[in-house]
Amino acid sequence: MDAAGSISGLKYLAPEIFLLATAAAAMFVHLFDKKRGARRAGYVVLAGMIVGLAVLFLAPLSPGEIFSGSLSVDSFALYFKVIVFLAVIVTLPLTFRFFGVEKFEPGEMYYLLPLILIGMTAAVSSVDLITAYVSFELFAIPSYVLAGIFKKEQRSAEAGIKYFFLGTLSSGIMLLGMALVFGLTGETNFAAIAKALAGANDHIALIGMILFFVGLFFKAALAPFHMWAPDVYEGAPTPLVVFLSTAPKAAVFAMLIRLIMTVFAKFEVQWTYIFQIIALATMFWGNIAALGQKNIKRMMAYSSIAHAGYLAIGLAAWGWLAKTGVLFYLVMYLFMNAAAFGLILLVRKSSGFGEEVADLGGLARSSPLAAACLLVVLLALTGIPPTAGFMGKYLIFAAAVEKGFYGLAAAGALNSVISLFYYFRIGRAIYMEGPREGVRFEPSGPVLAVLVAAAAVLLVFGMFPGLLTPLASAATLLK
Amino acid sequence: MNILGIPILTFVIFFPLAGALALLFFRKTASGAVRLAANVVTGLEFLATLFILTGFDAASGEMQLVERADWISAFHAQYLLGIDGISLLLVLLTSLLTFLATLSSWTAVKDRLKEYYLFLLLLEVGMIGVFLSLDLILFYVFWEVMLVPMYFLIGIWGGERKLYAAIKFFLYTLFGSVMMLIGILVLYFHYHTFDVTAMVAAGKALPMALQGWVFFAFFLGFAIKVPLFPFHTWLPDAHVEAPTAGSVILAGVLLKMGTYGFVRFSLPLFPQASRKYVPLIIVLALVSIVYGALVSLMQKDMKKLIAYSSVSHMGFVMLGLFTFSPMAVKGAVLQMINHGISTGALFLIVGIVYERRHTRLISEFGGLSSRMPVYAAVFLIISMSSIGLPGLNGFIGEFMIIMGAWQVNWVWAAVAATGIVLGAGYMLWLYQRVMFGKLENPANMSLKDLTVREFATFLPLIVMAFWIGIFPKPFLNVLDKPVEKVIRIVNPGYYEEAAAALGGLADAAETKAALPGEDR
Repeated sequence: MDAAGSISGLKYLAPEIFLLATAAAAMFVHLFDKKRGARRAGYVVLAGMIVGLAVLFLAPLSPGEIFSGSLSVDSFALYFKVIVFLAVIVTLPLTFRFFGVEKFEPGEMYYLLPLILIGMTAAVSSVDLITAYVSFELFAIPSYVLAGIFKKEQRSAEAGIKYFFLGTLSSGIMLLGMALVFGLTGETNFAAIAKALAGANDHIALIGMILFFVGLFFKAALAPFHMWAPDVYEGAPTPLVVFLSTAPKAAVFAMLIRLIMTVFAKFEVQWTYIFQIIALATMFWGNIAALGQKNIKRMMAYSSIAHAGYLAIGLAAWGWLAKTGVLFYLVMYLFMNAAAFGLILLVRKSSGFGEEVADLGGLARSSPLAAACLLVVLLALTGIPPTAGFMGKYLIFAAAVEKGFYGLAAAGALNSVISLFYYFRIGRAIYMEGPREGVRFEPSGPVLAVLVAAAAVLLVFGMFPGLLTPLASAATLLK
Repeated sequence: MNILGIPILTFVIFFPLAGALALLFFRKTASGAVRLAANVVTGLEFLATLFILTGFDAASGEMQLVERADWISAFHAQYLLGIDGISLLLVLLTSLLTFLATLSSWTAVKDRLKEYYLFLLLLEVGMIGVFLSLDLILFYVFWEVMLVPMYFLIGIWGGERKLYAAIKFFLYTLFGSVMMLIGILVLYFHYHTFDVTAMVAAGKALPMALQGWVFFAFFLGFAIKVPLFPFHTWLPDAHVEAPTAGSVILAGVLLKMGTYGFVRFSLPLFPQASRKYVPLIIVLALVSIVYGALVSLMQKDMKKLIAYSSVSHMGFVMLGLFTFSPMAVKGAVLQMINHGISTGALFLIVGIVYERRHTRLISEFGGLSSRMPVYAAVFLIISMSSIGLPGLNGFIGEFMIIMGAWQVNWVWAAVAATGIVLGAGYMLWLYQRVMFGKLENPANMSLKDLTVREFATFLPLIVMAFWIGIFPKPFLNVLDKPVEKVIRIVNPGYYEEAAAALGGLADAAETKAALPGEDR
């Protein structure tokens, strides 16, 4: 509060300022280097992200709420900031490969990424309705552009438009919820609202909460508000899907966690029910729909929906264990997704990349390293030890069991079994089927680097989750 | 605790992993070197497991050579290993069968050798780990880790329907294990530890309502593995489609994990629920015995016949375990080993003719004994061991189980005995159709008898079959204390009754002595 609005508070915003500088630098590089400007802008952003991680850790955490109670740069926010930074870092090598092969490299894509991150870092630290709404829009609008940036292909444009309409709709619903809460309490700061809600009308507050949540569920593609996701993920350029299917989800979960711990803490009974239902619907819907998919992007889109369902179990069983589990899983989920979508970029066909499961036939023979990494990733996605996917699910199920939600935990476990069936259609193609005609595998350095990194992270944290869980447990909100 | 400064249990778990990693550095084309290296690794691994005996105290019922380290301290998960008589026998069986399975693959597998041996070695890591871990999370990790290499062994090197069989195996067993995971979590929040020995020692069993559910969660995991009727449907597919080495390990070791799970975890951790559901499990066990044997009688495919016979034999093990008498439980554990030896050998036997003829149909053979006399002798000994001929290993186990069952309920023993009769029927009939009669099929005229290497794969198994059959005492001795420990928890009444009966006998003797004149 001491730094409220004053210039000295800017030091807490060092990462955001750095991101803005990175974006500006990349923009200038793109502008003045006519020939290879786009790619060089990409390198600038990648370097900026890696330095940015250091800036994140060097910048001080705020002692309390800053800027008149609109932001709280606490360790919880820092954890999520690291996640979204990592999301860009694993996305960039894949974009180099994808747009390099397609010979169509829109430079603006590269400096949109740091701009999106500014919105996300603000979103994960915002403790005020208006800041929250503005920062969500700040990252959502450039995201629509990213989904539609591959103008060569019609389905990318379609994805952009679809994402835009559904995204705006969800923002509208969210805003309506916020308006109800504000109208009821006359406050915008989360802590102040929580205080004011104590004596307010529960019915209106509950409607406000539900609308607010529905808006967020849309953005995180939780069933039954997920319908846009498979179309958008299938249409958007593959590397950007890695980013779009992970980072916004992290931001939404950060916001949901802040809300259930502060503003809506008194409605624990109600939101527990809501998250249970959402978790069940999302897991089953995602996994069952994925069973029938032949296109890897679409399959992984449904799989990413299902994984958000596992995360929702954590929200339903919120507590110390669930927090550790959800935060741990979000990081691991990022690496699983990066590898799962990234694998498509190894598979070349005459018309672009091979996106069908059958296109992967014979990968184990032509590229044993990539195949082995993918095997680790598939095990992690299914939740089989010794991978981090198992540890994450284990922590989340443990939280559910601790709260006595045995049925919910069993449903989650059952979903792992369902998911095995389609994940190992990929495993089967890689190891047990022969190569398909007209398909060739191109070992691309950046893609292999992402695959190896993902497999290594998933194995190391799967065997020694203690390397990360203390950080996840220690990430706390400032009250 | 360790021997010569080496943590021996850790060593035997991870030595095959080191071998697998070393295999990665071999050139793909160096198939001879890859073969040799894999055989050396599994051979050394067997010797390493024998080395455990030097530090093992057979007279103790406690966990020995315990290794304990913090693993995930926040959740009290430990790296906790230990061995007692029950796990000792199973570890020795595992390392022996894995070695023999590797040896048997020498000429049988020609395609993608490096990956094949890699998966075989990874499988061994998982299997040994399962039998040695005492921390439930560690146990679960090994339990699941083992599924993956088996999936690939079936799916890559299997028969015609390998893809179907592989995913079916994976789905079934994963379903069982994830339910067990939920059960493990419930146990954790009750005991606040994953250490099984500590849970058992704590003595505060789960409240009955919850215990029943958790018992069934574990039951699903284990019963699918055993497999107990009606959870057995994955087994014929997996066993038939797997390559020979895969079938040997599936039947010889993987099925034992289910029954091992029951005796190590279910009985001591859920004593009340185990007692309560005895009727259900005994019925399922008896159905497995009779049904498995009947279905075996009908098979045209040798491998399928042996696969179904496993259902029958494992039913015996389950029957023995759930009679809760020391004799039957010891018999059941011994029968696990016996089944590993005889069924493992039977799959190897089928593998021999399959490698030569590429068919497993019984009708394709006949009169082989005149062409392959050594093979016929081996086949005969192993068949007799599987049937339970006195003097061979199968007899001891089955006899002890039926004796134990008889003491509790003669009907169980009677039904189980029909399983033995049927077993003799299908095995002898199989032997007769394959070995005797006239050598008519021209394709069989030029069949070669066992090579030295092939005979070497059978020799240890035949020696073991005779050893257990004639002098089972060393094997039963190591089981005495651990089994007594389990029975004292799950059926404490047994020892009280036995003591009372003994007391009664002593009383009677005293009375007799006191009244010598009354005898006539």
